[in-house]
Amino acid sequence: MTAPGSRDAVDAVVVGTGAGGAPVLARLAAAGLSVVALEAGREWRAGEDFATDEAAQEGLFWTDERLSAGSDPLAFGRNNSGTGVGGSTLHYTAYVPRAQPDDFHLNRDFGVGFDWPIGHAELAPYYDELERFLGVSGPSPYPWGPPRRAYDLPPLPLNGAAQLMQRGCASLGIRTAPAANAALSAPRHQTGFGHRPACSNRGFCQAGCSTGAKASMDVTFLPLARHHGAEIRAGCFVTGFERNAGGAITGVVYDRDGRTERQRCRAVFLCAGAVETPRLLLINGLANGSGQVGRNLMAHTGRQLWGRFDEMVRPYKGIPGGLISEDMHRPADVDFAGGYLLQSIGVMPLTYAGQVARGRGLWGEALRRHMRGYNHVAGINILGECLPSPTNYIELSDEIDRRGLPKPRSHFSAGENEKRLHTHAERVMREIWAAAGASDVWAYDRFAHVIGTCRMGASAQTAVVDGDCRSFEIPNLLICDNSVFPSALSVNPALTIMAVALRAADRFLGRDVQ
Amino acid sequence: MRQRDPLKRDQHYPPGTVRAAVDTDLVTPATARALRARLLPPAGQGVFDAAGRTVLVAACDRLLPQADRSAPIDLAGIVEDRLASGVGDGWRHDVLPCDAVAMQRGVAAIDATAHARHGLGFAQLDMLSRDAVLAAVQRGDVEAQAWAGLDPRRFFEELLAAVTEAYYAHPIAQEEIGYLGMADAKGWTEVGLGARAPHEPEPL
Ligand SMILES: Cc1cc2nc3c(=O)[nH]c(=O)nc-3n(C[C@H](O)[C@H](O)[C@H](O)COP(=O)(O)OP(=O)(O)OC[C@H]3O[C@@H](n4cnc5c(N)ncnc54)[C@H](O)[C@@H]3O)c2cc1C
Ligand code: SF4
Repeated sequence: MTAPGSRDAVDAVVVGTGAGGAPVLARLAAAGLSVVALEAGREWRAGEDFATDEAAQEGLFWTDERLSAGSDPLAFGRNNSGTGVGGSTLHYTAYVPRAQPDDFHLNRDFGVGFDWPIGHAELAPYYDELERFLGVSGPSPYPWGPPRRAYDLPPLPLNGAAQLMQRGCASLGIRTAPAANAALSAPRHQTGFGHRPACSNRGFCQAGCSTGAKASMDVTFLPLARHHGAEIRAGCFVTGFERNAGGAITGVVYDRDGRTERQRCRAVFLCAGAVETPRLLLINGLANGSGQVGRNLMAHTGRQLWGRFDEMVRPYKGIPGGLISEDMHRPADVDFAGGYLLQSIGVMPLTYAGQVARGRGLWGEALRRHMRGYNHVAGINILGECLPSPTNYIELSDEIDRRGLPKPRSHFSAGENEKRLHTHAERVMREIWAAAGASDVWAYDRFAHVIGTCRMGASAQTAVVDGDCRSFEIPNLLICDNSVFPSALSVNPALTIMAVALRAADRFLGRDVQ
Repeated sequence: MRQRDPLKRDQHYPPGTVRAAVDTDLVTPATARALRARLLPPAGQGVFDAAGRTVLVAACDRLLPQADRSAPIDLAGIVEDRLASGVGDGWRHDVLPCDAVAMQRGVAAIDATAHARHGLGFAQLDMLSRDAVLAAVQRGDVEAQAWAGLDPRRFFEELLAAVTEAYYAHPIAQEEIGYLGMADAKGWTEVGLGARAPHEPEPL
């Protein structure tokens, strides 16, 4: 390291500060490395900036336009794409079940999909660590999956939707439990941040938690990273990379307020999420010898079922995903691979009204009348497997955005497996809601989370990165975000993204520290 | 227990609950700021010409009728402001042009459909005929040449969602449905079925 300017080179640049980037940043900084995070979004102050208002939350969404094609075009923005220091965790609802061991080898079990090069055994210690560090509130013992340590914090209180799902499931013999949520049921001190109060049941996790009770990255890993000396640069949109003759990355190029800047570095962790990560690689023609960059786009099957109840539900209160059942993780006698979990859902009025408009096509007086019953509405949804398919991918379109970069286009069409799973799930959910006493029941089709697009695997022919998240082609490029998942898993992704990211950082440190 | 079917019983809540709450310490300053800003009238300019705006206003009147309000929420103005801001929702259907262009062309196509079927502009139609035109667009059952390059069903869904969200984001619409989630300063201690804090409205 004698080249001119190398004094300015940091050990690693982390691109993106969401569920993947933030844990990496904290881990590397704690190990004494010099690290800089480049984040396209702005910095928020949890206590002051977050209004308890759905329309005001729009600042948290990634609003650069993406094109959506296919027979089930994916909705981005509010549905699944955050931005800001903290990434999509600023508005995730903090539902954090662990994946189960068989989630990692669907192909071995069913002959479809693509297996992970690592498994539950490698990730379990990280799940333990994360639940403790984030402050996950959950039930102990946990009814599903292999034996595990108890959650440090008891579960959060059940809201109306959770109680109704509990009632419906109980009469059908389906087991339920209060869900694991990354929100505090008791206050605590968080290193680098300070006091985090207990959740006040505002139900508004999707708008950014105004109190710090929710374990988004801005109140957990990012303050820890800063505490250990990491620098986080907000408002920096990465556009390219500089490389040396050997192909290694020597610097990251980014746009800050219309100016081009560069940060020299010895390694890059690309954590920009499952749309922007492949988009950046495709724009720069990098790391795509396998041809898999952008391929294998998956989105969780997420059909929702809404119903009206005689009781007052007031669905805006309490942690939104209060209850869980994993009894359908691998249901018997079905015609599809994999399975799903069941979740109760509270809902805010704008989200619900938008779904009534889109899903039921109600308008006029019928819409207003339906909405006047809002306080009696409760929902359940599933979160289920989605298989990779050659028809589902992210590509660059020929439309140029305001930065002069090609807009990404996603192609997504549900396949036979997703359709069968949805059919099964809707039948089960209808039984539960009928048993709970619902009327005016209706289903809303939804695909949640953007997954895949730079998958990990055992070989450079079929995958973009290895099990340690290292590019097969560029020695000092790692990818740590939702794009590395080779399969969707039948659970919400954030906890596993963080676990994979922490493990990748540890592997990176192990190799280089020695 | 379940004699009273809430479906048959149309719920009505007392007016004024949200406006009253916003001015108390039940609502945090950040939330109160957001809600107060939304009580101001929109500018309603920058995207449509006068003819287009007339059609949009007439469509909003049917998609979310407010005949019961002496001062209806200016939904067309809110939708136009949003389009004029250029801030989208982060995605669009590949088959649709950008949001503002889709809306201009869709509104013109609604008007052309009205002319083709009734010999009058959309805004000149009586309520029943307007509803028939909108329902045809929603079904995709429309004259091909007026809708060349624009999928009527997708367009209708986007228009309806935009108008619906403009309406239910408004504090006055939120009190219509008995929502008090903006009272965020204290949070909620009871969240189960039937639980009600003293400041939460009850149906009339
Ligand atoms: C409304 C909602 C609810 C959710 N609820 C849950 C839940 O309950 N449980 C769960 O497990 N998951 C949930 N998720 C999903 C979860 O938040 C995401 O899966 C997770 O945050 C993805 O992590 P990531 O690191 O891949 O990307 P992100 O967290 O999205 O982070 C990517 C970051 O990279 C930045 N970035 C992108 N491009 C660039 C660039 N070129 N230069 C610089 N920075 C860039 C972005 O601004 C962003 O901050 C939810 C998501 C949403 C939107
Ligand atoms: S429900 Fe709890 S965790 Fe979620 S935003 Fe409200 S206080 Fe924060």
